[in-house]
Amino acid sequence: MARVFNWQIGRTMNYWYSEKRPKRQFGAVFDINKCIECQTCTLACKTTWTTGRGQEYMLWNNVETKPYGSYPLAWDVQMLNKLGPQIWEGERYTGRTIFEAVPPGMRVLGTDRQDIDYTYPNVGEDEILGAVERGGALGLPQQMWMFYLARICNHCTYPACLASCPRSSIYKRPEDGIVVIDQSRCRGYQECVKACPYGKVYFNPATGTSEKCIACYPKIEQGIQPQCFVNCIGKIRLQGWINPPERAREDNPVDYLVHVRKMALPLYPQFGLEPNVYYVPPIHVPESFTIQMFGPGAPAAVKAYRNARNDKTLAGLFALFGSTERTIPYFKIVGDYAVALDDAKREMMRVPIYEPVYVRPAQDRLYQVMRGNTT
Amino acid sequence: MTRRIAFIFLALVALGGCTSRPAQDTEQVAAKFTTAPLPFDDPASSLWNQAAEHPAALLKQDIAEPMLTKAGVELVKVRALYNAEWVVFRLEWSDSTQDLIPRAGRSSDAAAIQFPLLGDADVPDAAMGEKGKGVRIWYWKALWQDDAARAQSGGGDRVARLYPNAAIDHYPYEANPSARAEMEKRYAPARAAGNPITVLPGEGPVQVLVAEGFGNTRVAQTQAARGRGQWASGKWMAIIARPMRGGAELGDLAAGKRSYVAFAIWDGAEAHTGSRKMRSNWIPLVLRAR
Repeated sequence: MARVFNWQIGRTMNYWYSEKRPKRQFGAVFDINKCIECQTCTLACKTTWTTGRGQEYMLWNNVETKPYGSYPLAWDVQMLNKLGPQIWEGERYTGRTIFEAVPPGMRVLGTDRQDIDYTYPNVGEDEILGAVERGGALGLPQQMWMFYLARICNHCTYPACLASCPRSSIYKRPEDGIVVIDQSRCRGYQECVKACPYGKVYFNPATGTSEKCIACYPKIEQGIQPQCFVNCIGKIRLQGWINPPERAREDNPVDYLVHVRKMALPLYPQFGLEPNVYYVPPIHVPESFTIQMFGPGAPAAVKAYRNARNDKTLAGLFALFGSTERTIPYFKIVGDYAVALDDAKREMMRVPIYEPVYVRPAQDRLYQVMRGNTT
Repeated sequence: MTRRIAFIFLALVALGGCTSRPAQDTEQVAAKFTTAPLPFDDPASSLWNQAAEHPAALLKQDIAEPMLTKAGVELVKVRALYNAEWVVFRLEWSDSTQDLIPRAGRSSDAAAIQFPLLGDADVPDAAMGEKGKGVRIWYWKALWQDDAARAQSGGGDRVARLYPNAAIDHYPYEANPSARAEMEKRYAPARAAGNPITVLPGEGPVQVLVAEGFGNTRVAQTQAARGRGQWASGKWMAIIARPMRGGAELGDLAAGKRSYVAFAIWDGAEAHTGSRKMRSNWIPLVLRAR
C-alpha cells in the first residue's frame, strides 16, 4: 500500500497505488435543494448508454430519496455499518477509510452485492423520516424531512474500483480524470462491483464484463457536459474541473463552490476515495445527518447557501447552472450578469443574476375586475 | 471346505478392489497411453479406469490479493490419457450446486490445468508463473459450455435463462439490425471491443491462457483445446485436453519426459473468480511410455 494525501479528510491515507493526479480532473456540483426527482437525468443516461441486453438493471445515474431510498439496496448504510466509528476532529478524519479497514487478503473493504440489491430501484421514494402519528407534525421545527440524492460515478481521485481490479483493467484517464473500465481487458471478476462503496459499477451478465458511468467522455472531449447534466430540468448540475485545494482558482466555478466558499461537499468523504461530485447539502435536514453524509463542513455550507441570494457572486454562479450545455471551466460576474467562460476565457453564455420579478395587483382598476394568478 | 470358502472370499475382495477402487498414484499424475479413441466428451468412459487416479490437494489462493479467505473444494481427482496428438485430463470434484451463468454475487463453476512453458529444469512459480518464466493454462468454464448448449437447443441467451420472467419493452438495436454493430459500442461494449471472453473460445468451452504472474493473464494466440464438463449428483467431472505439441507458444509434451501440472477449481456459488480460487502446487506429470 502506498501513502497518498486526501484533502477531503485532511490527511494522508493508504491506497493501493501511489498518488498521481490527472492533468485536469472532472468535477461537478449538484445542488440538492433544487432536485425534484423527476428522473429525467436517469432516463437521459439510460437511453444513451444502457438499453442493451444485460444492462436492464443498470442505472449509471439514479436519483434516490434519502433517508430511506438507495440503489443498490442499502449501499450506504451497509458501508457505514462496516466501516465502524467515523470520527472527525475538526476537518481531519481520524476514523478508517475503506482502504484502511481492509480485511486481510483483500484490496479494499467491499460489499458483497447480490441480485436482490438491484430489485428495488426506487425503494423508499418520497418517504419521510419520522412518524406523524407520534405527534411529530405538531412540534416545530418539524422533524419530517426527506430529500433527493442524484448520483453518478464520482470519478474519484482514489477509485476503489480501480484499486480492486486484479487485472488493472480500470484506469483514470490522464487527460480528464474520468474513471473507465477497459472493455477489451475486463474478465468480469466483479471485484470492482464489490469494491465501489457507492455501488456504481454494474456487472453485465450478457457480456460477462463490468460496466460503469463514463461521464459521457465523448461529449466531454467536445467541451459539452454529460447527458444527465444537460437534460436536468431543475438545473441542479454544473460540470467543470476541480483542482486540489492548493491550486484552487476563484474564477473556476467548481473550485469556487468547493474550495473558496466550501458550499459544495463530497459524498461520504470518510470512505476515503476523494469523490469528485460535490453536493450543496439540503438546508432542511438535521445536521447530524448532513455531517454524516457530507462531512463536518455541512452546517457552514447550509448557512452560506441560505444567504446565497444576497451574495452576487454566488447568486450569479448558481444562475449559470443549466444555462449552457457547454462545460464551464471559468466564470466571472459582470454588472448584473454572470458570464460563463471557455478554456480560452471567451464568453460562452451570459445570464442575469436576478430575474426580474413582476407583481401584478389583484384588482384591475381599468376594467374593474379582480384577477387571480390562476386561469 | 473352510479353506475353499476363505479363498473364494479373498478372491472376491481382491476382484472387488480391482473394479471399484481405482488404482491411485499419490506421487504424480501418470498419463496412460491408449490407442483407443480418446474420450474427449465422455467423462464416464470406461477408458478412464485404465489411468491411475491422482488425488490433488487444493489450497486457498492466499498469495495475491484478492485472496480466498474461506476454503472451497479441497480435493480434485485427476486421471489422464494420451495418444500421439493429445493429452486428455479428467478432473473430478465435489460441488453441491451447478453454477453456470454469472450475475451479481455469483460466478461460473470453472477448472483449469496449468503447465510450465519451460521444462523440468526451470519450473516457474506454481502460482501463475513469474516474469520471464510463463505458464500456459487450459481454462474450462461451465458458462461457455452452457452458452453453446443453449445456442444449440434454442434455450435462450444468458439473460433469458437467468430472468425468465423479465419483460422488456424494447432494445434499440433489435429494432434496427443494420445499426447493431454501431450500437454495440454503447450497449454491449465488451463485445464491440472484441473482448475474448465474449466469444466462444476455440472448439469448445476451454480457453488457452498465457500468464507470467498474477494480473497479466491473456488469451493465447494459439487456441488448441478441447473439453467438456458434466455435473450430476453434487459432482463435476470435467475433461480438459491439450495437444502434445503446442509449438513455441504453448510448449510441447513428450512421452517418457517428465513435466509438471497444477490445478485450480472455482466454485461459482461462492463467487470464486480470478485469483479467488482453490489451487494446487506443481504436481509431476509423467506420460507413461507405451
